[in-house]
Amino acid sequence: MNKLNIRKWFDDRLGIDEISAFMTKKEIPQHKHTIWYYTGSSILIFFVIQILTGILLAFYYKPTLELANESVAYIVNDVPLGWIIRSIHSWAATFMIALVFIHLLSIWITKAYRNPREMTWISGVLLLVISLAFGFTGYLLPWDELSLAATKVGTDIPRSIPIVGTWVTKLLRGGEDVTVETLSRFFTFHICVLPIFILMLLALHVYLIQKHGSSLPLDIEKKNIPVKSIPFWPNFIYREAIFWLFLLGLLLTIASLFPHHLGSPADLMAAAPEGVKPEWYFLFLFQTLKIFPAKILFIHGDTIAVLLICLMGVLFFCLPIIDNKPAEKKGKIITYAAYVFILYAVIMTVWSLL
Amino acid sequence: MKIKHSLFTRRRFLNSMIGGWITAMGTAFLAPIAKFVFPPNKEPDEVLLPKSDYENMEPNTVKLFSWGAKPGILKMNDDRSYTAFVAVCTHLDCNISYLPDQRKFFCACHDGWYDENGINIAGPPPTPLRQLNVAIDEEHFIITKDKGNE
Repeated sequence: MNKLNIRKWFDDRLGIDEISAFMTKKEIPQHKHTIWYYTGSSILIFFVIQILTGILLAFYYKPTLELANESVAYIVNDVPLGWIIRSIHSWAATFMIALVFIHLLSIWITKAYRNPREMTWISGVLLLVISLAFGFTGYLLPWDELSLAATKVGTDIPRSIPIVGTWVTKLLRGGEDVTVETLSRFFTFHICVLPIFILMLLALHVYLIQKHGSSLPLDIEKKNIPVKSIPFWPNFIYREAIFWLFLLGLLLTIASLFPHHLGSPADLMAAAPEGVKPEWYFLFLFQTLKIFPAKILFIHGDTIAVLLICLMGVLFFCLPIIDNKPAEKKGKIITYAAYVFILYAVIMTVWSLL
Repeated sequence: MKIKHSLFTRRRFLNSMIGGWITAMGTAFLAPIAKFVFPPNKEPDEVLLPKSDYENMEPNTVKLFSWGAKPGILKMNDDRSYTAFVAVCTHLDCNISYLPDQRKFFCACHDGWYDENGINIAGPPPTPLRQLNVAIDEEHFIITKDKGNE
């Protein structure tokens, strides 16, 4: 069987030619906002890095009270190249979540969620939530003083939600308190439950992007003039590859120069250490909770803060449905809201670090 | 196929049967799963501390003990009486510490403060520390839940 026949054998069974024809036919519009199209595939690159390094770390990690911290120390100190694998895993999480935020904000500002792409936005917001959940559950696994205290705070926050709150806290913790039950549970969420959900949502998200094609920004669409475009394969992929290489270089440099710190083992009975802070992407929420007074009238300040944050989350989720007249005044206000959000998040984050 | 005088077709009837069956099966599985994921409550009703370990404390000092999965704090007051608290901040559940020179309890997570009687005085804590009852017999300090303050 010569090479041509082998190719034909696979093509008859897998339909490779249809896929490659689709990739060459797929066009990426070229305009002043094209740069934002690069963020999506870069998130995927970091996601793949997370899967690979995560599998490697799971070879040695042991989610038990005695061994969790010790096994991470073993990975970092004894396993060949363990320190850089762990450092890449934690830094790639930071890169990935930063890119998810940038990706969503760019879509908010260019209004790429307009009809018929509402479901693409909604699946994207769910992917953000899952990415944050990955970060939150992964933060506990090294089982050091800071991660324990941050998880205690993080899992106690839902308690302020009326009626269901106490149950949510219990479900997350596996009981009343953060104990070794919480560690097993977070490990299961991190390596089993969340991966299933993220893969399903990612499949939906990528399918929807193929179905609807790349969105044109509103101001360019309004001009109603033909826009130049380039084929997705190979022209656009090659350009993206330059960006991926740059990000990979940056990731490796930062991961080797600033390996992630491992604190002393968590002690369930010890007082919380000073300087308890969550990961950077939760800092603006952390600071929001901190500035709310203990009581507003007769209600706990926390309850109001948490309900407000939930309300903002729901509004964010429903953005394409609220912004149903993107070209009009209401649409402009919603775009300004994105800048207000960025400003708020930056100010709160800086404040929490002071 | 639709039988004369029938309200719906056989296909629609069968579809709703299988849909209903799947929904019923799914729901039947949900209840046991929900029961399984919430483990039994492990908060103790009573903890016994050996007297020898705790009786030689100085006034205005504290010692830790385990109150189930939470830390408890036993404090000797100036009149040599004892008070016990659950050493967990009422704001967002961080473990607290006692600062004897300031006569205050402190939570490092969000800068919460309580006075030496466990009353919240500054920062975000919404309520006083949870107090526990202390009784002493020949061999033990008996720490029990305060019924009025759970």
